[in-house]
Amino acid sequence: MLRVDGLSVKYGAVPALHGVSLEVNEGELVTLIGANGAGKSTMLKAISGLVKYEGEIIFNGESFDNCGPRNVLTMGIAHCPEGRRVFPQLTVTENLLMGAYLRHDRNEVRRDIDAFFERFPRLGERRLQAAGTLSGGEQQMLAITRTMMSRPKLVLFDEPSLGLAPNLVEQTFRFILDIRAKGTTVLMVEQNAFAALELCDRSYLLASGKLVQHGTSSQMLSNPHIREAYLGG
Amino acid sequence: MEQLLQHLLNAVVLGGTYALLGIGLTLIFGVMRVANFTHGELYTFGAYMAYALIGPLELNFFVGLAIAVMLGILLGIVIEFMLLRPLQKSDMDTTMLVTIGAWIALQNMELFGWGGVAKSVPHPFPTDPFVIGSVSVAPLRVFVVCVAMVLLVSFYLMINRTTFGIAMRATFQDPEVSSLMGVKINRMFTLTFAIGSGLAASAGALLAPVFVVVPMMGDLVTLKAFAVVILGGLGNIVGATIGGFVLGLAEELGAGYIDSGYRDAMGFILIIAVLLLRPQGLFAPRERTG
Repeated sequence: MLRVDGLSVKYGAVPALHGVSLEVNEGELVTLIGANGAGKSTMLKAISGLVKYEGEIIFNGESFDNCGPRNVLTMGIAHCPEGRRVFPQLTVTENLLMGAYLRHDRNEVRRDIDAFFERFPRLGERRLQAAGTLSGGEQQMLAITRTMMSRPKLVLFDEPSLGLAPNLVEQTFRFILDIRAKGTTVLMVEQNAFAALELCDRSYLLASGKLVQHGTSSQMLSNPHIREAYLGG
Repeated sequence: MEQLLQHLLNAVVLGGTYALLGIGLTLIFGVMRVANFTHGELYTFGAYMAYALIGPLELNFFVGLAIAVMLGILLGIVIEFMLLRPLQKSDMDTTMLVTIGAWIALQNMELFGWGGVAKSVPHPFPTDPFVIGSVSVAPLRVFVVCVAMVLLVSFYLMINRTTFGIAMRATFQDPEVSSLMGVKINRMFTLTFAIGSGLAASAGALLAPVFVVVPMMGDLVTLKAFAVVILGGLGNIVGATIGGFVLGLAEELGAGYIDSGYRDAMGFILIIAVLLLRPQGLFAPRERTG
């Protein structure tokens, strides 16, 4: 479905990724793990068109060629950025409408929003409240749903568990598993390597902008090097 | 008391146009992070276009005003495209200096084109004021305040009720995430500058028949627009609207009860007071993080 070939990204003169290749197949949940600064977020930003890259990104047979976030979204890839990033002064409903910005089927959009409020009644009660007044967990649910409003084929999640209490982390992961179960392919960056490996089908390990290891979840979990460096022995 | 009512009425007339100016400037600042010093020149441009179309070209008054505003929007698009687009990645100091340069250039073009003699714009309204009890107001001023109100209400409906308005506020708050939602940021910047410029030009065109038109009139307007924006909090649209009326009121009361020579100083006294006591602006939004 998605093939990334020899991807390199530089921030000014500083290289963030060099020559990374990876693949995501339809229906998979793939994670990118690695330490801070390994280039995980940069990878997602390159795919969604936020940063310029060298190399090739091919989605369903079409090459991206640095076409920018709007075109990437049109092709069916949505990106849920790190740190929730809801629009703090827009209402909950307006945030969701922004997620559906490129859709023109208004009635269907309404139905999607209502379905979300049914699932999270507390957010339904606050639909007219500014998103900045919600709790961290609520903002994360909103951010994920906003991303899903475009009805993507592939969704990129950047550290969805960051800064959340353990029970909310679990809720977030359940939500993501649910999204995958409903047929959306997921590529997720996660700093909590153990949780990421438990959750995913396959995983890629990045270190200092390079791909060092990849494999299925069980291969990665039993790899002694990964156990020692990332899973605490 | 009678005097107070008259001052309040005048303050509303003045405040409506200040609100238009302030909203335009705060919108441009909020969305584009540009401290736009051409704002007063767009006001002047609107006024001169109203003069040219209604005066020498003898167009219908209302048609002339409408075209003047459209030309203001057009000039805004040209400025954004030629001066600000290439500097999108530059910091705020750079774009500020560029707009200050454009301010000087535009003003001297006006001086060159129209000369320094004040122009007055003819209007079709009777000069006899409406008198209600002890207060009186010229019909032209009633027209000005009505149009200003219609523009303010239309702007609010646009920004709050339309998809475009929601996208504009979203871009205001987080351009990067907005681009992930599919917003074309470049186009949003152009449209924002166009709308801001249109609001400034409409204020200029509306006030042109009330006052006279001179090349330097934009200077004070730019500074007052910044006063309004600081009063309301940088980038705060509701704040700028209220700030506009607060400035109108302060000027009227200052001129009426202190000394008419202090009229234009009131805005700056207000800025100093606000910066000392409430630097985030009178109407800073509350929000929660985490």
